[in-house]
Amino acid sequence: MTNYGLVIDQERCIGCHSCAMSCKQENNVPMGQAWNRVLTVGGDHIDTPEGSYPEDGDDGTLEMSYQPTACQHCENAPCVKVCPVNATYKREDGIVEIDYDKCIGCRYCMAACPYNARVFNWDEPQHRPEEGTGDVEERPQGVVEKCTFCSHRVEEGLDPACVVNCPADARIFGDLDDDGSTVSKYVAEYDTNRLLDEKGTDPKTYYIQGEMSPGRPWKGKELESELDEQPTPEEADDPDSEESMRRATADAVWGDD
Amino acid sequence: MSGEVTERSATSTVRSPVVSSFGTVSKVWLGHLGVLLVAGLGAWAYQLQQGLVVTGMRNVFSWGLYIMLFVMFVGLSAGGLIISSAPKFFHSDRYEGFARLGVLVSLACIIVAGLLILPDIGRPERLYQFFTSPDFRSPMVWDFGIVVLYGVLNVWYLWLLTRRDLAARGSRLAFGAEDTQAGRERDRTLLFWTAAVALPTAVMLHSVTGWIFATQVGRGDWFSPLVAPVFIAKALVSGLGLLLVVSILADRYTGFDADRDELTSLGKMLGIFLAFHVVYLLAAERLPHAWADHFGFWAITSEFLIGDSIYFWLWTGVGGAVPLVLLATPQLRKRLSVIFVAGVLAVFGTLFEGIRLVFTGYESVNIDAAPGISLGGEYAGVTTDIWATTGVYTPTVIELVVTAGIVAVGALIVTVGLRYVPLQRQTEQERYAADSGGGGCD
Repeated sequence: MTNYGLVIDQERCIGCHSCAMSCKQENNVPMGQAWNRVLTVGGDHIDTPEGSYPEDGDDGTLEMSYQPTACQHCENAPCVKVCPVNATYKREDGIVEIDYDKCIGCRYCMAACPYNARVFNWDEPQHRPEEGTGDVEERPQGVVEKCTFCSHRVEEGLDPACVVNCPADARIFGDLDDDGSTVSKYVAEYDTNRLLDEKGTDPKTYYIQGEMSPGRPWKGKELESELDEQPTPEEADDPDSEESMRRATADAVWGDD
Repeated sequence: MSGEVTERSATSTVRSPVVSSFGTVSKVWLGHLGVLLVAGLGAWAYQLQQGLVVTGMRNVFSWGLYIMLFVMFVGLSAGGLIISSAPKFFHSDRYEGFARLGVLVSLACIIVAGLLILPDIGRPERLYQFFTSPDFRSPMVWDFGIVVLYGVLNVWYLWLLTRRDLAARGSRLAFGAEDTQAGRERDRTLLFWTAAVALPTAVMLHSVTGWIFATQVGRGDWFSPLVAPVFIAKALVSGLGLLLVVSILADRYTGFDADRDELTSLGKMLGIFLAFHVVYLLAAERLPHAWADHFGFWAITSEFLIGDSIYFWLWTGVGGAVPLVLLATPQLRKRLSVIFVAGVLAVFGTLFEGIRLVFTGYESVNIDAAPGISLGGEYAGVTTDIWATTGVYTPTVIELVVTAGIVAVGALIVTVGLRYVPLQRQTEQERYAADSGGGGCD
């Protein structure tokens, strides 16, 4: 069985908000709403660190990282269990999705979601440009909406928009049930944590902290499972490949990972 | 007691409505309720057209006044049904004089509670999905079922209590029931069985409404096994409080005759419920956390005793300690005015308990890093941008008007009930004194 999941490498994330912007664009997310947002883990405001500046010969304690946050596509999703009319449901492939024709707008799912990943269309949704953007139909007033892992792209064999558009290779999407997929390997290899793990929701979004991963050795915008050849570390090391060139540049900027 | 039954059956005291006709005052009252109802409908229509953006709710604080008052009115609906069915279950005639009025008030409250859900729904035209596509894992589906069942049970109960008197008066509301001695005897048996069903249904109603909140891991203090028992206690307090208030008002302004001794006795019972709810259950809820979070004796004690918000104090102080003291003082609790004030304050307190419950779930968020959560609309409160890291809520005028309209429906039901349902208590006195021991003869 397919069970899609996402790995976000917080060591690689540069806080550029490309994932949030491409999500908004691709999914036609209304003005004033965000399905995907990049939070600053640090000070009280966006892009501010916590701690103190190095002054008077002291070592500074400044600390800041970014936490891109959207629907975690929980295995034990409280939003699915509370929906009175089966509008929110879990697909065979593990993606938690909303049937916008069924949703009655009771917002019990918003109360249930510990991550505040869901938004409600309080009024007639506004789009810029007015005809909307991206490849997803707009949702009407009075329903709840949220991240779908870009299921419309996944069904076409494409990675979610936020994954493809991450310039830092910090987002890796794939099948957690496939032991050979990059997501499965990273979950096994790296120090990962899941948001609010203690709540028992069993989320399928994993955050890498500590050691930086090499991202995913890209072949294109396709899902890994759609590729003719599986990407391998050896390939990534091929000095002539475009991928390796990109990686080498990244290494020059970020140092040896 | 058995002698009394025979006597009553022989004389067949037929009860009549406590309002014989709508006079000028009644008409002015009904007119006011009508205005509120029309205003509420207008406000709801405006809200349907503009969207819930005209409420104070936003993405972080996504349930507001409608749900707070839904919780309250579910609680209020407890009083009458329990006061009328608990004695019947034990074959007692105690509080018989309050039974009919009580069930009428219960019915009005559960209808108000059900109606309060409607304006909270984003797309009410899709509510049929509850029937075509229900998910039985959802506590909201359980609650939908139990609220409907409870409402139907109240209608049946009120009719069963009054149908022989309705028949005797030739009312069409008797629906073919006849006023015969055998019929009245049979109804007593039916009333026992109805009470036997009504009591567990009431317990389920309040528990399930509590479980809507208590099952949620993501909303702070909501996730507590104590919520359902607290909802039961809250229902006993507010339901009985409202019944006392309505009884005293009906006694004052209509032909309804509330027995003073029974009022005092019910007042004492309200005091006991208050002590259980506001003192015992609250302490039981707070002590373990206060103890685990602090080290020093005074740190534990102060955390345990000191409240967190204005809503907490309005509930436990104004709506808890004050009525408790009033009802615990023997010189005071016999006075009708004191019982009335205590009832009002008990209802007032549970209103703020419900408000506080919703606030504890939405005020703070689990992941509060900047910039936070998109609010999803131009926020009318203190912040101006689309992001928030805490929940803020103030109901808008639209919400208040819609709510007032729905509460007016409840008041209309009670008023019309006073006019058409035979609520008049019988004139025999001291019947309640015979309830102990003689129960089996019914």
